[in-house]
Amino acid sequence: MTASNHHQPHLSSDDPRIMLDGEIGQFESVPPYPPRTEREAEFYSLRDGEMFLNMGPQHPSTHGVLRVVLKINGERVVDLDPVLGYLHRGVEKLCENSDYHHIISQVDPLEYVSSLFTEWAPVMAFEKLLDVTVPRRAEYIRVLTGELLRVSSHALYQGWMALDLGGLAPILYSFIERDEIVEMLAAITGQRMLFNYFRIGGVNGDLNHEFMSRLGDWMSRALKEHETNIGLLNENEIFVRRMRGIGRVDRDMALKMAVTGPNIRAAGVPFDVRRAHPYSVYPELDFNIPVRGSNGGGDSLDRYLLRLDEVRESLKIIDQCLHNMPDGPIMARLPRLLRPRPGRAWAAVEAPRGLYGTYAISDGTDQPFRMKIHDPSFVNMQLVGQLMKNNLIADTMAVMASLDPVMGGIDK
Amino acid sequence: MTTVSRSWGNMTTTGKVVVPLLLLVLVLGPIATVAIGSWIGPWIVGLASANLPIVRFLVAVTGVLLFSIPTAFIIIYMELKVIAFMNLRVGPDRVGPAGAAHSVVAGLKVLSKEDFSPNAADRTVFTWAPVLVFLTSVMTFLILPFGPDLVGMKLNIGVLYLFSIGGMTVVGLLLAGWSSFNKYSLLGGLRAAAQVVSYEIPLTLSVVGLILLAGTMNVYTLGLQQSGWFTNWYVFRQPLGALIFFIASIAEANRTPFDLTEADSEIVAGFATEYSGMRFGFLFFAEYVNVFLVSALITTFFFGAWNAPVDINAILGFFNIAPITISFELGTLGIALLIAIAVLPLILTLALAAPFYFGKTQRPAWQALVIGFILFNLVGIGILGLIAYVNVPWIAGITWFFLKAFAFVFVFVWMRGTFPRVRIDQLMGFAWKWLLPAALLNLFVTAAAIIVVKSL
Repeated sequence: MTASNHHQPHLSSDDPRIMLDGEIGQFESVPPYPPRTEREAEFYSLRDGEMFLNMGPQHPSTHGVLRVVLKINGERVVDLDPVLGYLHRGVEKLCENSDYHHIISQVDPLEYVSSLFTEWAPVMAFEKLLDVTVPRRAEYIRVLTGELLRVSSHALYQGWMALDLGGLAPILYSFIERDEIVEMLAAITGQRMLFNYFRIGGVNGDLNHEFMSRLGDWMSRALKEHETNIGLLNENEIFVRRMRGIGRVDRDMALKMAVTGPNIRAAGVPFDVRRAHPYSVYPELDFNIPVRGSNGGGDSLDRYLLRLDEVRESLKIIDQCLHNMPDGPIMARLPRLLRPRPGRAWAAVEAPRGLYGTYAISDGTDQPFRMKIHDPSFVNMQLVGQLMKNNLIADTMAVMASLDPVMGGIDK
Repeated sequence: MTTVSRSWGNMTTTGKVVVPLLLLVLVLGPIATVAIGSWIGPWIVGLASANLPIVRFLVAVTGVLLFSIPTAFIIIYMELKVIAFMNLRVGPDRVGPAGAAHSVVAGLKVLSKEDFSPNAADRTVFTWAPVLVFLTSVMTFLILPFGPDLVGMKLNIGVLYLFSIGGMTVVGLLLAGWSSFNKYSLLGGLRAAAQVVSYEIPLTLSVVGLILLAGTMNVYTLGLQQSGWFTNWYVFRQPLGALIFFIASIAEANRTPFDLTEADSEIVAGFATEYSGMRFGFLFFAEYVNVFLVSALITTFFFGAWNAPVDINAILGFFNIAPITISFELGTLGIALLIAIAVLPLILTLALAAPFYFGKTQRPAWQALVIGFILFNLVGIGILGLIAYVNVPWIAGITWFFLKAFAFVFVFVWMRGTFPRVRIDQLMGFAWKWLLPAALLNLFVTAAAIIVVKSL
């Protein structure tokens, strides 16, 4: 007590100045420890005219709790250091301590914008471990709901993109679209966001009347509304000029950085897990893999436009699912307690942000020995360091939003 | 005593100023009233009549200050509501009819909030920067011609005054950004400086052509020159100038798509990041006062100031009808005037209420009476307004001025709901590579045209 009073003898405990401990320079976003790597030492030393700008974790447009330390010179970003982990909950470890059925609800909040895909990959991996055949109707329902969610996710992306560039209107229009889909899925899953719908060997509930009537209602005007929402932005000169030529990812860089999903297709590589490593009933369905950007690679505008193309393809898939939907059971016959034989399995699905994979090792108990989740946002996020450098502060938003990261999946 | 000292300790700084002032007014008020009535009054009247221009100036300044706050309130409400409808939302609808009192309540809320300033902030500068921003915006109102003879000052260097005072806003923004001790604020302040200074040049140059044409810098005279038909408006003689002025004034008012100074997705709230309470209120009001100001300036310079687009007297003259004046001496009615005042409102209210009571809707009597009373008031205001419009020139003037100015305010709000934001290099490039050459071209063409016309 006396020792602590010794330093600030004249300050009472509620004096706000007590927080100002030492020099003003301590407000700099330099880590309070000596540099651990050469890169850290280089980054946290300032040259003449440079300053740090600590963007996040509570910044309005870092898509969650990402923290990016920008080293700026005027308006230009000289270098940057993304800091992850503000949303880390140890989901993989939680999964290793849950039984196979419970894992589905554990992984749900990872990619909260499109949480059906976070269920799909582990469920598929466990089905491989257990050697279960999923009924065809269940597979069709998975594809149908998955593609619906892809449309909703891309619609949201379109709105966020505009919001990060300062446009207020599109986000509200895209939320109309998302809300329709989310209500639809709520009719069969009972949830609006974290659906907890897929089960090992099938799905939790069959399609019901409310879902079908809502879906039919929405499908009759989905394409038209999509075109309308596109019209809000695509021909806007300011929007196009902000996006064109910014954050260019060329083919080699995309392949080297293991980028997947719309981001690599916008760089001119036609890689889509649905066609490259077909799963579920996708081989039976007729759809195209839209590709944008030539060999020179794609910029932010390409990534944006590609997602709009994908929405049209998804609508085609939904239409086919509705026409080809077979009758039959929606769950395979399985025991209550699942004890797969010791072994390992990898399963990957094409989520709206790219390849979403799960690697599971079974040791014969009712819990996986090891479970690794491969999240596309995390991999795509690696591009940020390359793309933001030597751009303006405003461009960091255009680039980050165009990569479409979800922090829940990145920090896991 | 402890109660007093405790409540004194709990009070905000504003309260500590207002409460003693209130007590002082309560004590000194009656004394002052008696004193003024007896001997200070005549002395003041004598002084005022001796220094009429100063009195006029003081009255104008007070009027302008009082006028700017409701204008800001109206524009804030308008922005909330218009953008809400554009986004398929309802917008504010809780306070007052259709949320009309929303911005007033928001203003009161801002007054009651904590007056926070960061530890490391430069307190003096931090406190006075919003005042400077607000005052410079309001000071420019002084020369706006709201109607014939309804102008704060008929300055003969009005346009010069306008740009010199308007240019001072940037000092306030820069100080606000610098003193906050926040890097986002600093970036916002510096962006404001770069942006406003750059756009000041095309803004000013676009009006120089107009000044050459008009031959005066007096804003009131500019209004007078545009009377008559709408073809007299300067926008038809200076279309390029009007366009440049419009674009540059968006940037001057820091509005979308040039709202880089407070780009929420990039630098949080720019220079206003660390501000709270009434200091933020000043910055916030200043923004909307600025919106009205630039709309009013566009109206004044290029869209005929207070003049109606149609010259009614010319039309009447064409048909050989004398100009309409509705006027009669109330005194000629004699005792009938008293009866009319006593009886007419009652009869009219009942008459207007009758259809709602006896009609198909079958409303209760009290509802019908309330509706009748409201309708009577509306009719009365309408009739009185019409008489005033025809008889009093400045009422007609202020009507048209506000109609036109708020049309431009609507355009500003519309753009806010529609456009994304431009980037800083695009912003500066546009000012220096396109607007400035265009403004110079406009100036040279105008000057050449004037010389050619004069030499003919």
